[in-house]
Amino acid sequence: MEMVSTTKLRRFQDRAVASRPYANEIAQLLGHMAGVMGDRLGERPLFRPGRGKQTAVLVVTSERGLCGAYNSNMFRVVETWLSKNPGKKPIFFVYGKKGFQYLSKRGFEIERFFVEPPLEKLDYRGAKFVASALREAFLSGRFDEVLVFYTAFESVARFVPTRVTLLPVGAGGPDARQGGARDSAKRSTGDVILEPDVETLLEKLVPRYLETRIYNALLESLTSEYASRRMSMKNATDAATDMQGVLKKQYNRKRQETITKELLDIVGGAEAVR
Amino acid sequence: MAGEFTLRVITPNRIVVDEPVESVQIPALDGSMGILPRHAPMVAALQAGVLRYRGRSGEQVLFVSEGFAEVRDNLLRVVSEAGETAGEIDEKRAREAEQRARERLAHKGEAATATEAFDQLRAEGALRRALMRLKVLEYGSRDRVRS
Repeated sequence: MEMVSTTKLRRFQDRAVASRPYANEIAQLLGHMAGVMGDRLGERPLFRPGRGKQTAVLVVTSERGLCGAYNSNMFRVVETWLSKNPGKKPIFFVYGKKGFQYLSKRGFEIERFFVEPPLEKLDYRGAKFVASALREAFLSGRFDEVLVFYTAFESVARFVPTRVTLLPVGAGGPDARQGGARDSAKRSTGDVILEPDVETLLEKLVPRYLETRIYNALLESLTSEYASRRMSMKNATDAATDMQGVLKKQYNRKRQETITKELLDIVGGAEAVR
Repeated sequence: MAGEFTLRVITPNRIVVDEPVESVQIPALDGSMGILPRHAPMVAALQAGVLRYRGRSGEQVLFVSEGFAEVRDNLLRVVSEAGETAGEIDEKRAREAEQRARERLAHKGEAATATEAFDQLRAEGALRRALMRLKVLEYGSRDRVRS
């Protein structure tokens, strides 16, 4: 199991790395266009808070157990957020069976439970599907914002449950990390040809941007899941090896004891006959 | 020739092309567009179509789906969901997709509801992608014959 998790972990990690240039490029372009739009940006529906009272929350968890504290860490972060924001009415969107079980058992309202494609077979199209579902939910006007809870992958030993704001765009991103790109874009916007125009570009960019963020969140969660699983499997293997050592020693000792006892019997018997 | 510039085609899965080229033709939203070295900074929206470029190993064709192109500092970045060379395109799948899209479009007349209109739009997009993929295939095989 440890080996299986290790190979899978590596595979997803590679994919996460491979998707990064695309995501960066899209984020940069969006920052660029946002710079061109300037103040007019606030008029676009996806860039301003929704009118709704409820909050859409996407929670990414695992499909299966045996992955250490991966899911419970996530639930803890969700619970903390809930207790800090008692005024929010969360409507959940869930990826992963564990999250669905947890949330439905506690009586939260679940709008949508994504099962197709299974996380394991995640591809860009799957992310696209989730992104458009969330975007439509936001545009329907029922929600004030869309949050995503996912597990950020920092290293094979560190994965942190994280909350980001997906919509409206600008609340959580193009986030601070892309801030630099935004500034540099702003400086160079004066002499950039836009084909066909800002509005069209922005309209096409925003969905792509949301998709890359979802794709990234799902991939990172998946990578974290396998890192977590690998760790707990390693612990299990180590514990079992230790136990095996202890038991073997115990067994050998008992066996030796019996042999010694029998030998003593025989020797004693022979002594008596003489 | 006025020298070379770099073409980089980026998709979510990998970087498809990253090499010096002499000229590139991109399928911009309102028509094909040629890019030569030292092009002015530009951001353009792309539709699904054929991207041709002349690199060091001769002329190449590539299928790209909807995306964006950005020119800056003698670097053309094409950001698209798909980027496939003729060798990578699954002809059977493209033909089937074409068939499916055509059937879907033939069945529906006027779109009555918003969902129907949306479906129609999607079928049109699918048809375009399929046709463009086949076009790339055609160009690709023609190039092989020539060389």
